[in-house]
Amino acid sequence: MTELLLTPLQYEYMLKAIAVSGLIGGVCAFLSCFITLKGWSLMGDALSHSVVPGVALAYACGWPFAAGAFGTGLLAAVGMGFVKTKTRLREDAVIGVVFTAFFALGLLLISLNPSSVDLRTIVFGNILGISDPDIVQVAVISGVTLAVLGLKWRDLLLFCFDPNQARALGLNVTLLHFTLLTLLSATAVAALQTVGACLVVAMLVTPGATAYLLTDRFGRMIGLATAMGVGTSLVGAYASYYFDGSTGGCIVTLQSLLFVLALVFAPKHGIRAARHRRRAASAPQP
Amino acid sequence: MNDPAPITLEVDDVTVSYPNGNVALQAASFRLAGGAICALVGVNGSGKSTLFKAIMGFVRPARGAVRIGGRPVAEALKRNLVAYVPQAEEVDWSFPVSVWDVVMMGRYGYMNFLRIPRAADRRIVEESLARVGMLEFRERQIGELSGGQKKRVFLARALAQRSRVILLDEPFTGVDVKTEAAIIELLRALRAEGHLMLVSTHNLGSVPEFCDQVVLVNRTVLAAGATDTVFTESNLARAFGGVLRHFRFDESTVQKHDGRAVTLLTDDERPLVFGKDGHLEYRERAGRERVIEQRAEREDDH
Repeated sequence: MTELLLTPLQYEYMLKAIAVSGLIGGVCAFLSCFITLKGWSLMGDALSHSVVPGVALAYACGWPFAAGAFGTGLLAAVGMGFVKTKTRLREDAVIGVVFTAFFALGLLLISLNPSSVDLRTIVFGNILGISDPDIVQVAVISGVTLAVLGLKWRDLLLFCFDPNQARALGLNVTLLHFTLLTLLSATAVAALQTVGACLVVAMLVTPGATAYLLTDRFGRMIGLATAMGVGTSLVGAYASYYFDGSTGGCIVTLQSLLFVLALVFAPKHGIRAARHRRRAASAPQP
Repeated sequence: MNDPAPITLEVDDVTVSYPNGNVALQAASFRLAGGAICALVGVNGSGKSTLFKAIMGFVRPARGAVRIGGRPVAEALKRNLVAYVPQAEEVDWSFPVSVWDVVMMGRYGYMNFLRIPRAADRRIVEESLARVGMLEFRERQIGELSGGQKKRVFLARALAQRSRVILLDEPFTGVDVKTEAAIIELLRALRAEGHLMLVSTHNLGSVPEFCDQVVLVNRTVLAAGATDTVFTESNLARAFGGVLRHFRFDESTVQKHDGRAVTLLTDDERPLVFGKDGHLEYRERAGRERVIEQRAEREDDH
């Protein structure tokens, strides 16, 4: 039995996959607290799809994939901002138009040049086959993201909660906006390797959303989300060995399960707690 | 902190237009000096919030300039000269922050790069919470408070910021009478300490009670100055047009008609009452005990 459980850990590629998944899962979960509170979940989805043409281009030209992905991700973000200020369209429509345009361009580029990169790798991720240079890129992105979040989380929190107060204090709100946007693009790029473009948004939203149901304190929310992100990613990557299935699918399924548990059983904001409160309120007073 | 020179706020010929070409404010000018409580009065869409935004540097005037303590806005903000108490609707009350966290946000401007609070910051936050009577709620999540308590938390944040200019956006909306009195009491104390408060309000009736200055806006500054001279029936008619609920006792059955009217104006909240000679009527007599006698004497002269 023990032997069976230890089998995946005998392979170097599995160890690498588990470690890298855990790292990315943690970074994404940390950031997800800001993304859910700021209301940028849709933006996360958009950016994770918008990086695809950059990845395709980078592989075709032999650049580091992160550079290309990051480039088109930011281009999409700027494009959305531009269309938003120049039209009367609602924000969701703007995001929908721009990110699908980028994603379509990415698909087109890959289909025109199928030898350089596999479409499945980009859309569904391929952490089991991650190359060493790619691991370095992911590690650098994660390190920088963690450093920025660790140093400036209080400013970013104020920016999410009350941008007007941030401005009144003389903080550079535009800079904070682009910092958060850049971190979002960067982690979307890193997570692409693990779970693929389609599921990146889950890594960037679900842990934060689950933690939000469990606590009323931001510090604890970060702790819970990060723990869940790291835990589900480690276990998901490990478990995917037995299923011989999609690593991204395993990780995100686990995260979704935790979310459902929190939704029902959360001590204060769960469905059960709400029902208890209703009962207590309607109970006859002694 | 006790700068001997009174704090000033100068709005000089400010015009603000939005990207869609709408001119929200045209050549607005007024000047205030602390300590003072100034009401900012006008209909919705008259440019009140645009004026706030211009004072806070959120919008850049197409023409003119705002100066706070003689400095440009950006510089004044860096020096923590301006605090802002937002409307309740602007705040996400389900955000996972405690009362203590929110008030501590007033101290960020004084903290280092990492925003780690020092003992002095904690002491000031505690004092500020105590001053608004919210210290015992420090651990509460902000959504678990009543309307009045929420307001007081954000007032405490402005206090913690130690700013000499405080902007309050509709501080009495959704607030019970007792809290309103407490807030007014606090504003008066701050005025005595030399602070300059600009209060945007629909609560016309309470304006004469606690504001010594009034700025009337309708796409520009219609009138600005001492409450007694600016807050008149004719000026308010210009500011509000036909928008106010208008109750004329001379046309009603309430009083014996003698040709002179008591007029009641209300913008949905506490009514503003003008007496028979067009003078302001106050709710409480304290400090104005002789008003009736003086009026009687004046009537005798007629």
